[in-house]
Amino acid sequence: MYTFVVNGKSVTTDKRQSLLRFLRDELHLTSVKDGCSQGACGACTVIIDGVTCKACVPTTDRLEGKNVLTVEGLSDWESKVFTYAYGEAGAVQCGFCIPGMVMCTKALLDVNPDPTEEEIRYALRNNYCRCTGYVKIIAAVKLSAKILREGVIPEKGADDWKVGSRVHRLDVEEKVLGYGKYPDDFYMEGMCYGSALRSKYPRARVLSIDISKAKALPGVVAVLTAEDIPGENKIGHLKHDQYTMIPVGGLTHYLGDAIALVAAEDMETVEKAKKLIKVEYEVLPAVHNMKEAAAADAQKVFDEEESNVQAYKHVSRGNASEAIKNAKHVISHHFETPWTEHAFLEPECAVAYIDEDGDVMIISTDQDAYCSYRECSLMLGTDKVKAENALVGGGFGGKEDMTVQHHAALIAYHTRRPVKVRLTRAESLLIHPKRHHFVMDFTMGCDEDGKIMGVKAKVASDTGAFASLGGPVLERACTHAAGPYAYENFEIEGTAYYTNNPPAGAFRGFGVTQTCFATETLLNMMADEIGITPWEIRYRNAIRPGGVLPNGQIVDESTGLVETLEAVKEEYDAARAAGKPVGLACAMKNAGVGVGIPDTGRVKLIVQEDQKLHIFAGASCIGQGLGTVLVQMTVSNTDLKREDIVYERSNTWIAPDSGTTSGSRQTLITGEACMRACRKFMEAKAGGKTLADLVGQEFYGEYLAKTDPLGADVPNPVSHVAYGYATQMCILDAKTKKIEKIVAAHDVGKAVNPLSCEGQIEGGVVMSMGYALREKYPIDGNCKPVEKYGALGLLRAHEIPEIEAIVIDKPGLNVACGAIGIGEITSIPTAPAITDAYYRLDKERRYSLPISGTPYKKEG
Amino acid sequence: MAVKKKFPYRAAVVACNGTCAASAVSRCKYGCVGCGNCIAVCRFKAISFNENGVAEVDEEKCIACGMCVRACPQEVIHLHECANYIVVKCSNEEKGKEAREACPLSCIGCGICEKTCTAEAIKVASNRAVIDEELCLSCGMCAVKCPRHAIRDLRGVLTD
Repeated sequence: MYTFVVNGKSVTTDKRQSLLRFLRDELHLTSVKDGCSQGACGACTVIIDGVTCKACVPTTDRLEGKNVLTVEGLSDWESKVFTYAYGEAGAVQCGFCIPGMVMCTKALLDVNPDPTEEEIRYALRNNYCRCTGYVKIIAAVKLSAKILREGVIPEKGADDWKVGSRVHRLDVEEKVLGYGKYPDDFYMEGMCYGSALRSKYPRARVLSIDISKAKALPGVVAVLTAEDIPGENKIGHLKHDQYTMIPVGGLTHYLGDAIALVAAEDMETVEKAKKLIKVEYEVLPAVHNMKEAAAADAQKVFDEEESNVQAYKHVSRGNASEAIKNAKHVISHHFETPWTEHAFLEPECAVAYIDEDGDVMIISTDQDAYCSYRECSLMLGTDKVKAENALVGGGFGGKEDMTVQHHAALIAYHTRRPVKVRLTRAESLLIHPKRHHFVMDFTMGCDEDGKIMGVKAKVASDTGAFASLGGPVLERACTHAAGPYAYENFEIEGTAYYTNNPPAGAFRGFGVTQTCFATETLLNMMADEIGITPWEIRYRNAIRPGGVLPNGQIVDESTGLVETLEAVKEEYDAARAAGKPVGLACAMKNAGVGVGIPDTGRVKLIVQEDQKLHIFAGASCIGQGLGTVLVQMTVSNTDLKREDIVYERSNTWIAPDSGTTSGSRQTLITGEACMRACRKFMEAKAGGKTLADLVGQEFYGEYLAKTDPLGADVPNPVSHVAYGYATQMCILDAKTKKIEKIVAAHDVGKAVNPLSCEGQIEGGVVMSMGYALREKYPIDGNCKPVEKYGALGLLRAHEIPEIEAIVIDKPGLNVACGAIGIGEITSIPTAPAITDAYYRLDKERRYSLPISGTPYKKEG
Repeated sequence: MAVKKKFPYRAAVVACNGTCAASAVSRCKYGCVGCGNCIAVCRFKAISFNENGVAEVDEEKCIACGMCVRACPQEVIHLHECANYIVVKCSNEEKGKEAREACPLSCIGCGICEKTCTAEAIKVASNRAVIDEELCLSCGMCAVKCPRHAIRDLRGVLTD
């Protein structure tokens, strides 16, 4: 028997287990998040005897007599202070790291009521945040300290909820106090646990599967194989080449392929049963990389494909070869960018059960509930499926594909019991699609003034074990490789290869993060050759309103690249005059899917019995703050107040399908649909009607963002409805060789919530600082990737430089209040800007990421 | 003596538990021998002998001047950042069996810590665990998993 105190109450247990499991599974204190169970992430941080401790580390037998505090045990006053401070500072995005951060805040301020910034950074540095870049969390700690010292909570900085207002996000309280539910926080009556047995080899033929011993193990509820799939085995976001389970006779494609599913009363039994499944394999040689995949005698990753080429794109306008031949200055180089892991704080989890309609109900953490619905329906062979988003603990593109939803759905379908399927961190690192590793060869030709004459490139990407979004990522990499510049001759050829590596798919930036590194680095080299500054060469080539992009699209009046360049000019000149190494890069990124693919936003506003207007949109909030955006748009476009409006999480039976949270599209596309629904609501409300008069009525808004397909035979195709533009600048401290400051100027159209917008910029910049300087996702000779979250090289709170986010509030398009998506572009120009700054420091050009020779990465 | 310290605070740490002395085995040749040189050179009275007769640093008083590091004939004292409260308290470089015999709490170089560490911050070199404090996330998983209790939480929460 071990007795200790949790939140002021004495608890006793005779089971030796980690404190994390005890707090969650037995006391259901679900503010204590399970982000890795490896001691890395910090999401399970609690306070033990006054100091912070990751709850996954100590076991219950070591806690005798100790005093444990979780967020649930904060006093009312502390709860109010932290909720206010985190909200006012804009520190909450996906929220999964936040309870742990709050515990760090309290532990620090209890002993140090007036900490310096460095002391705050140190107090947070063992906890990771992947959304905020730590900037606003540090600000929240400072503000918490001030309020706790002064004893008074001030008025909120902004409270009118209009577009343009820096209001606290609507989900701050549930995330700070930890009562908001992610799927893993659901503990349902009679719930069992499920998990997949994964392939032992990256490429092997499954000869037989014997589940008899596993089935016979007491506590096992079901063991399922491919034979138990009632519908299609192969599903997928676009292309259906992702196996739910590998059948006997089938080929495995990577170490994450599922062979069988086990459901049992508890996780210990699940793991035991998995070990009892006997699988016979014929081990085959694996395809380890693009070179092997492209070889003439290559092994095929898929039996059913003709080759390992998953996608091929060729984009050409004008005559790039001729233009480069005639150019005064020509530079060519080879570039490489690495695999990158999303490292969202919340591992994939889904809870599924049979609801009162007899449907399979899936509670999921994904980027599109309708996608979970469609793919699970396909696999189950029935549309008696529903999906609903719980809170989503970060996505960044990594939660667009099925990872656990289909498995949970299948177990619930067969067992008729609620089931939770959750990936361990090691599984998460293996299974969800990553950012593509790219190899690129670029040639750029310029005239004597630095005007770009033409760009020609050939790129290839490793899309791993199934397509995921490999095709669209490659396409976006190709279309945006041209950069935000006005020139006519551009040609690029791209190939994505299947290999037996983990799959690659969407990741913030969607291919542009890779090709932008090449284009922008070449442009910096070109500036040096011509003898002008990197700023000047961009200013001369920048796309301006009315100009024509290399893809032929005429850009509209909202185009603000020049404004972002001008925004950094003064500081750029000053830093250079002071002899500091400064690097610069620009980027453009589409908002919306574009290229002729139907891209529709749909919103339904319903006045419910509570006489409030409920916003239903089948569009996932993955931490970026979509709910707050839609509420602000509704307040601005109706005569309602914030308290009259309720934001509902995405589901598939009331909310209409508004597409995936991808391509920086939700603010623009779903935002405009919401505005259109607001107009209908206001028409109905005309003549002095009140909400009470409209109870039961629905108002539907729809917006189709119409574009032309790639290669459309029109003089000036509209490739995308809107583009965001950015200039980012990196200033180094020549003495420490560390980054002193990053200035990120972004043209976002109208910033719906400038506080959230800054948070996106800071988070995106820090994420790509990691991409540029240190992050790694090593894959070994057996196609097995890293298993440890703490070994990814993510940046920590004490390593972050000053980040100045400049929001250029230039009037946008006449849709969605003029807002343009900001989600992805924040991560795109960072790496080339940093790389150029290091060149200015030591005159070493760097052509592959993460760059070497910086204090951020240990060499060797 | 009150000395104004600059954050992040650093202090000396003695990489020896000194349990060999207490348990009547012959004293480990890699550990603290209780010569008292460090105590003699410390101008801040930050070092004293613990109950095992082994030097122990009071991090509150220590300013990380490094005098003791230079004075130690056994080279078991090094400077570290106080925020990294998980430390290896052993310097034994013998292989498993010999190390086990030298002290009840010795590091035997088994490598469990290395396998456990999420941050790849702890490595076994010369048969003993060494923490790279730049990489360490101070979770203490290594301390909890160490079968020899050679890794300690200086705050006294995860280990005694």
